[in-house]
Amino acid sequence: MSPDLLIALVMLTNFTLVATSRINKAIQVAVAQGVILGLMPLAMGLGRHVHILAMAAAAIAVKGWFIPFLLRRALRHVKIHREVDPFIGYTASLLLCAAGTGLSLVLAHNLPLKPGATPAFLVPAALATLFTGFLLLVSRRKALTQVVGYLVLENGIYLFALLLVEDMPVLVETGILLDLFVGVFVMGIVINHIRTAFDSTDTRHLAELKD
Amino acid sequence: MSTLDVILILAAAGCWVGSALVALGARDDRPGLLLGLAGAILASVGALHALLGGPPSRLDVAFWGVPARLEVDALSAAFLLPLQVVAALGTLYGREYWPLAAAKGSGRALRFFFGTLAAAMTLLFLARQGLLFLVAWEAMAISAFFLVNTEHGKPEVRRAGWVYLVCTHTGTLLLTAMVILLARRLGGLLWVPVPPGPPAALDGWILLLAVAGFGFKAGLFPLHFWLPPAHAAAPSHVSAILSGVMLKTGIYGLLRVSGLLPSVPRGVGGALLALGALTAVYGVGNALAQRDYKRLLAYSSVENLGIVAMGVGLGWTGRATGDPWLAALGFGGAIFHVWNHALFKSLLFLGSGSVLHATGTRDMEQLGGLGRRMPRTALLLAPALLAVAALPPLGAFLSEWFLYRGLFASLHRGYPWSAGLALVALAFTGGLAAVAFARFYGILFLGQPRSPAGAHAHDPGAAMLVPMALLAFLCLAAGLAAPLLPPLLDRAAAPAGLSLPGILATGLARDLRLLLGLELLLLGLGASALAWLRRRPASEQAPPTWDCGYAGGTARMQYTGSSFAEPWAALLPGLRTRMRRLKALFPRPQAFRSEFQDAVGGGLVDPWIGRLAARALRLRRLQPGYLSIYILYVLLTLLAVFLWPLLRERLLG
Repeated sequence: MSPDLLIALVMLTNFTLVATSRINKAIQVAVAQGVILGLMPLAMGLGRHVHILAMAAAAIAVKGWFIPFLLRRALRHVKIHREVDPFIGYTASLLLCAAGTGLSLVLAHNLPLKPGATPAFLVPAALATLFTGFLLLVSRRKALTQVVGYLVLENGIYLFALLLVEDMPVLVETGILLDLFVGVFVMGIVINHIRTAFDSTDTRHLAELKD
Repeated sequence: MSTLDVILILAAAGCWVGSALVALGARDDRPGLLLGLAGAILASVGALHALLGGPPSRLDVAFWGVPARLEVDALSAAFLLPLQVVAALGTLYGREYWPLAAAKGSGRALRFFFGTLAAAMTLLFLARQGLLFLVAWEAMAISAFFLVNTEHGKPEVRRAGWVYLVCTHTGTLLLTAMVILLARRLGGLLWVPVPPGPPAALDGWILLLAVAGFGFKAGLFPLHFWLPPAHAAAPSHVSAILSGVMLKTGIYGLLRVSGLLPSVPRGVGGALLALGALTAVYGVGNALAQRDYKRLLAYSSVENLGIVAMGVGLGWTGRATGDPWLAALGFGGAIFHVWNHALFKSLLFLGSGSVLHATGTRDMEQLGGLGRRMPRTALLLAPALLAVAALPPLGAFLSEWFLYRGLFASLHRGYPWSAGLALVALAFTGGLAAVAFARFYGILFLGQPRSPAGAHAHDPGAAMLVPMALLAFLCLAAGLAAPLLPPLLDRAAAPAGLSLPGILATGLARDLRLLLGLELLLLGLGASALAWLRRRPASEQAPPTWDCGYAGGTARMQYTGSSFAEPWAALLPGLRTRMRRLKALFPRPQAFRSEFQDAVGGGLVDPWIGRLAARALRLRRLQPGYLSIYILYVLLTLLAVFLWPLLRERLLG
C-alpha cells in the first residue's frame, strides 16, 4: 500500500463524515479513519522502529476497538440515531469542508517545513482532517457527534505527528493517546449526565450552566 | 566523594512518599507514622553526617538526557535537619490532633499531603539543577495549598488558600525567570558555583529576581500578606511545618543562589538588610495587634523571617566588601536563627493547637486562666516564649547576638546607614516581641476564663504533649549547647560564599563560653532564690488567682488583649479603633470597636484586585455558554496563527 492511497482514503472519509446525518455511520467512518491512520506508519516504511510499531498497534486498538465500544454504548443509552437540525446544514458543511481542504493545501505549501522524504500530501491531509474535526465540533448539536468531531480532530493531530515521529519521544505520543482516551471517556459520562438532567443530548442545554 | 548521604536522604524522601500513600488506604495511623519516623531518622543521619564534617555527597542523574544533580552539603543539611524534626513531630502530633477518621476524609487528605510536603522539601534541599529545583518547589507549594485547605468547608479557609496559591505561583513565575537567567550565567541548568572572576551584568538581575521570588515564600514585606491567613487557617501542626520550615526554603534559596555567583553587588546586601529590618518591625507590630492567637504567631514568623533576612543581607554586605568576618556572622547568625525559629515557632504552634483543640476558639478575648486548666501545655510553652522574645539562655538570644556582633562590626568598619538602621530595628523588634508574647501568654494562660469556652479546657493526651516536650527540650538545648554550634555554622555557611574555615569557632568561642557561664550563674542564682522563697510548704488548697485586692472581681475586670496592646496602638499600622468621645459627667453606655486589616493585603492588594475583577467582568460577553462557540474561538485562533506568517509576507514584504 502506498501512503498516498491511504491519504486519499482519509480525505474521502473527511467528506463522508461531514455529509452524513446518521450518528452510527459517523462513528463507523471515524473509526475507519482511525484504523487507516494507524496503518500509515507501516505504509511510510517506519516499520523498523519497534516503539513506532507499538504505538501504531496501541492507536489501532484504542481507536478501532475501545472508543467505538464506548461510543456504541453511549448510543444505546441515549437512543438517538440522527443529527437533525445542526447549526450548519449538510450542504453548507460539505462546502466548508471543501474550502478547508483547499485552504490546507495552500497553507501546507507555505509552511516552513523540514524538507524530507515525507509523502507530499501528508501535511495538507493532516490540516484538512484537523479542520474537519473542528467543523464537526462547531456545527453539530448532539453531544455524540461532537465526540466524533473530537476524534477526527485528534486523527488530524496524529497524522501531523507522523511528520515528527522519528524525533518525537514516546512520552509525547503516549500522552496524546491518553488524552484522547480520557477525553472520550469523560464525554461518555457527560453525555449520560446531560441526558438524565435535560432528557436530551442537545448541548445547547449546557448554556444554562453558564455562570 | 561518597554518595551514601545523598542516598540515605533520598530514601528518606521515599519514606515520606510512602507515608503519604499509606495514609490513603490504611485503617490506622501506625504504618504512616512509622514510615515518617523512619524517613526522618534516615535523613537526620545523613544530614548530621554532612553537618559534622562529612564531605559533600553527590549523585548525578539524568532525566531524558538532561543532567541533574542531587547533593548534600552542610548548607542543605542545616535546613534538612529542622525539616525532619518538625515533620516527624508534626506527624506524631497530628495523630491525636486530627484523627484519621475525621469528617469527610480530611484526615486522610491531611496525612497524604503532609507526607508529600515533607518529601518535596527533602528533595528541594537536595536539588542542584534548575528544573529539578522548580519541580520540588512546585510540589511543595501545591502540597501546602491542599494542607491549608484542609477545612475547605469554611469560606475564610478557602479564601486564605486561594490567596496563598496566587502568591506562591507569582513567586514561582519570578523564580522561573531567575532559573533561566541563572542557566545563562552558569552555562547550563546544573547549579555549579561560578569560579571567581569578574561580576557579570546578569548577577544583579538574578539576585533581584531571587529576592522577589524567594521573598514571597519567606514573607518579606510587602509580600507577606498571604502568610497570616494561611497559617491561621491550616491545622496547627501544619502551621508549625509551614512556619517552621517552609518559609525557610525562601532563605535557603537566597543563600544557595547567591552562593553560586562569584560576587554580590554591594547595594543588594544593604537593601536586603533594610528590607529585613522593615519586615521585622512591621511583623512584630502587627503581631501585637492580633486577637487571633494563631495569626499573632504567624505575624511573629514574619518578624523572625525579617531577622533572618537581615542576617543574609549582612552576609551579602560582607561578601561585597570582602570581609569574611561579617559574612560569617551574617550567614551563621541567619542559619542559627533558622534553627531556633524552627524549634520555638513549631512549639508555639503546637501549643496553640493544644489550646485550640481544648477550647475550640482562636479568639484570645474568649480565653484566659488556661494555666490552671492546662498546666503541662503552659509549662512546655515557657521555653518557646523566652526564645521568641530573644531572652537568654535560649538559642534565639544567641542568634540575635550574632547579628548584633555583625552589625556593630559593620558600623565599626564604616558602612553605617543600613547597619545603623538594622541595629535600631533589631533592638526595637526584640522589645516589642517581648511585649507581644507577654500579651499572648498573659491573656491566654493567666487570669480568669473570659468565656465558657475556656472554662473546661484540659491538657491534651501524650501524642500531642510528647512532641511539644521534645521541642521544648531542643529549644533549651540549642541555647545551652551553643558553644558546640559555631563549627557547624561555619560549615553550613561555607556554601553561601566567602568564608574562612573555622572563623566563627575561633572568633566566638571565648565569648560564647563567657556568656553561657554568666547565664548559668544567673539561672543558678534565680533558682536558688526561688527555692528560698518557696521554702515554706505549700498550703493544702490552691488559692484563687490574686485579684489585686478588689473584692469580688469578675473576669470582665481583667486586662483584655486589646487593652494590653493599647499603649502601642500608634505603632500598629493596620488597627482601626472606633469609639465615640465620652461627653457629660454621666455618659451613656458606649461601645468600643477595633478592627484589624493588614496594611498591604487588606489595604492595598484587595481593593486593587477588586477593581481589576470588576473590569474583567466586561469580558463575560465572550462567554455565551455554547460549547460550539468556544470551539469556534479555538478554530479562529488556530487559523489566525496559520495565516499570520503567510499574510505577513504578503502585507509587510
